Amino acid sequence: MFNFVVKYWGFLKFIPGLPHLFDAWLKLWTLITNPKLLDWIDDVEKEILTWPGTTATTHKYGGLQFNYGKTELGHIHSNGLLDMLLNRKLKQQLMHLNNRVQDHHILKNTGWLSFYMETYGDKEFVLELFEMVYQVHVDKTNNKRNIP
Amino acid sequence: MLGKIFSPKNNGFLLSNAFGMATIGISKLLMKDFNGTLIFSEFVIVPFLMGIVSAWFWRNINFGSRQLAAWSCYNTIIALLLSAIILKEGVICLIIVAPLLMAFIIMGSSVGYKMFKKNNQTLNVSVFVILFGIFIFDSLSVHHYENNVADTMVINAPPAKVWKYVVAYKRIETPGKYWLFRIGMPSPVQSTAEGYYLGAKRKCIFSNGYVFDEKIVTYDENKDLTFDITKQPRDPEIMGHIDILRGQFLLKDNHDGTTTLTGNSWYRLYVFPVWYYDIWAESVTRNVHLRVMEHIKELSEAK
Repeated sequence: MFNFVVKYWGFLKFIPGLPHLFDAWLKLWTLITNPKLLDWIDDVEKEILTWPGTTATTHKYGGLQFNYGKTELGHIHSNGLLDMLLNRKLKQQLMHLNNRVQDHHILKNTGWLSFYMETYGDKEFVLELFEMVYQVHVDKTNNKRNIP
Repeated sequence: MLGKIFSPKNNGFLLSNAFGMATIGISKLLMKDFNGTLIFSEFVIVPFLMGIVSAWFWRNINFGSRQLAAWSCYNTIIALLLSAIILKEGVICLIIVAPLLMAFIIMGSSVGYKMFKKNNQTLNVSVFVILFGIFIFDSLSVHHYENNVADTMVINAPPAKVWKYVVAYKRIETPGKYWLFRIGMPSPVQSTAEGYYLGAKRKCIFSNGYVFDEKIVTYDENKDLTFDITKQPRDPEIMGHIDILRGQFLLKDNHDGTTTLTGNSWYRLYVFPVWYYDIWAESVTRNVHLRVMEHIKELSEAK
């Protein structure tokens, strides 16, 4: 259903508020079909916000976005779909390691990846992914600071 | 005792709904063109504000997204029950409106809960005032929306044979396939005409006994039957929120013993936002067309 809407009605995401309305419907659907998923998303949020420099905001196309400074680390839609920007090489490595890591549901040939959170174990994996991307950005920032 | 009844949890449910009902009452007083019209704000801004109001009472309760979404759903159910009791809305209307109300109440409570956690009074008041301003502006605006739905079907019979069933047809005995017809929405079952001529009165009878009075305004035999709806029932189920203005059947001879039948309906909506309700209106109108046109096809193709 999510993929159908994104594929055929995705162009509507530019209408202000509409993606957030869709995300509210996703949340309602998740509440009915897999309510624990909402708890796991909360757990991910709580954990990430303990890391220095991170914030959580609403994603422009609906969902919960995590940032390091002004840089987006990734976002989770209310159906448990994680979208995260890495680089193509790292993404390929992750796709080999875990066959549920997929190309981003829209941006196929980029460093963006998608992963559906469905179980408690997935929550741990999602946290590992966020930790990895967080570390990449922390290292980048530190390197910039160290350049004389 | 009173403390238990008016706990933060219950206040979130009670006062957000009281706010919602009071605001809808105010909008009815403000609206210049009120004729049963339900506006965009009543389905978008009011439920969103209801979510914010409930979140204000729940702001000190420490709970997660799951519980907040679940409580927002209960809040929606209370709002729907109040709509049935106070606004006399029917079950099918409530089924149609439920996804919209639920989504905006969930959105409002999520935004409100985060907003009140930040405890920035300037932000809180600004959001509330902006939303209330939109509501007032919307209430004072003119609301008028008309649309047309067309459906086409090929019938294995010549136009002359199809024509007599287009003007009037005997009772449809088969139950409707469309899911809203199955759960009780009235569907067309019969059409009668006092004659086959321009100006003749026609009646479209629905499954629950409703009658739409019609008058033939174009009578171009074997080609075009257009009729205006002169009187239609008003009841809580859909019919009070949409007016069917005109109907039309166009017949095109395909010169191979078949006829292309096109059904057109023009309607006016009294519920907004149209981007939501027009999807339902088109779907209902389309299924009314298909039920009648399939019956005409069956009668015309019978040996």
